[in-house]
Amino acid sequence: MVAERISSRGFRNLDDFELDLPPTGAVFLGPNAHGKTSILESLYYPVLYRSFRNAPDTELSAWNGPGFRLTLDSVVGGESHRTSVGFDRETRRKRVVVDGVEVGRITDAVGKWLAVVFLPADLALLQGGAAERRRFLDRMLSLSDPAYLRALLRYRAVIAQRNAALRAGDAEVVRVFTDAMVEPGSYVVARRLQWVAAWSDRYSSESDGLGEGQRVSLAYLGNPDLAEPGGWSARVAEVERREFRRGATLIGPQRDDLQIAQNGRSLREFGSTGQQRAAAIVLKVCELLTLAEAHGRTPAFLLDDVFAELDRSRQERLTARLTGPGMGQVFLTAPRRDELPPAIDLEVFRVQDGRAYPAGATV
Amino acid sequence: MGVLDDLVTEFARLPGIGRKTAQRLTYHLLQQPSERTRALSAALTGVADRVRPCSTCGDFTETDPCETCKDPRRDDGLVCVVEESSAVSVLDRAGFRGRYVVLGGHLSPLDGVGPDALRVGLLEDRLREGTVREVVLATNPSLEGEATATFVQQRIAGSGVRVSRLARGLPMGGDLEFIDGVTLTHALSARQDVS
Ligand SMILES: [Zn+2]
Repeated sequence: MVAERISSRGFRNLDDFELDLPPTGAVFLGPNAHGKTSILESLYYPVLYRSFRNAPDTELSAWNGPGFRLTLDSVVGGESHRTSVGFDRETRRKRVVVDGVEVGRITDAVGKWLAVVFLPADLALLQGGAAERRRFLDRMLSLSDPAYLRALLRYRAVIAQRNAALRAGDAEVVRVFTDAMVEPGSYVVARRLQWVAAWSDRYSSESDGLGEGQRVSLAYLGNPDLAEPGGWSARVAEVERREFRRGATLIGPQRDDLQIAQNGRSLREFGSTGQQRAAAIVLKVCELLTLAEAHGRTPAFLLDDVFAELDRSRQERLTARLTGPGMGQVFLTAPRRDELPPAIDLEVFRVQDGRAYPAGATV
Repeated sequence: MGVLDDLVTEFARLPGIGRKTAQRLTYHLLQQPSERTRALSAALTGVADRVRPCSTCGDFTETDPCETCKDPRRDDGLVCVVEESSAVSVLDRAGFRGRYVVLGGHLSPLDGVGPDALRVGLLEDRLREGTVREVVLATNPSLEGEATATFVQQRIAGSGVRVSRLARGLPMGGDLEFIDGVTLTHALSARQDVS
């Protein structure tokens, strides 16, 4: 799938813009804090209809403005589509229109436009806590499987109720919500395990391709018994007394983690920052390929200032990968042209003081 | 500003009404002829004084037992368990001709609603009479509604009576009252035994 044109009104600190985008992608060049990342944010917004920086919609609206509107024209499988989203600051209402038809629930519009983003802050995937990696898995699997999203939302709602029942000390009610958590919980665990099993080798070879050496592997840290509904009752029996004391559910996918290790040593603990950054990028490459396989079309890849902290050889290998097998449209940002590897061959847009415009030259 | 503020506060307690809407309603009433406001007040007093949960089924009623409980043409062997009064007329329209138990809500520990807040006792009383053949659990197709059905099922598990639930396939997250009649009639006739 390819973004052909993005237009924006009242979004962030950006001047209103309308950009025609080449099918191979583009580079946004400009000083920091002038709006480059906000342009990527506008391209990612119609994926989940929220900010990739988790900013509330009011914060995405230009200061003191009435709200924002983004319109994305895309081509998917040879068909043209127009997705438009408007946020009204006063009523806090968001309207999403896909091909001229307003969607009732925003989740119905999710999946029409797909992109994967890498931000410098994604180093937290390797350096941060388990919640970062669960969020990665949950977003990717939700976008590739609507049943996963339903199970995940259901499971979260059950856990919230079950924890409240545990705090109230009501065993009869806890039992009811224990029953309710098994089905969605086991689906979530099963799909995560399945993904890790299917992608561990591919992760390793992608990692190798970026020059990170071999034997980088993925492992799911969680109880595999919980992938089967029948596996829950024995585990619940083991922890239930502690659960009542703590007032919290102590088993299930909300406690699991994804481990990235090289030669058996966790990169989180033993990796250099360079290795960790590369590993985070490889995760994003796998996310892109996963979504591509689930939907039969390749999402756009948005990379914010990805080359800044990479050494020369990693830069060159990543450049080669971005134009390699399975990749589609690529959008990059950088402060200056000379910070990009010379082999990058994409149309350039300048972003200065919130203004975005074609540089009029291919670099 | 005593009474005006009181009224705004009372309106704002109603579901779906914020402080702003409460003020708008209050000023709307002030602009009406005073007899309209008195009629509203009389209706509210009437509801407060005369409407009670039926001591047999829990449905709201001015007479006790209620009209439904007194109706001799209904099947005493069939009891339908619902969350709210509003579901009674909906299920009647869908063709149900048995008795009801209105629980008065659903389990929601997050909101502090536990078993004590529900009228499960009315169902247990009914089962002790020995005339009931089947209990139909017709709580709302939401997480809390389904949890409530599981809870009731657990409570009456020892009674030996047949227990069924509305057929799956109802849209999740909704209330029974927003589900169209055809779908509900189908869910009722295709109800499935759970014990
Ligand atoms: Zn009654």
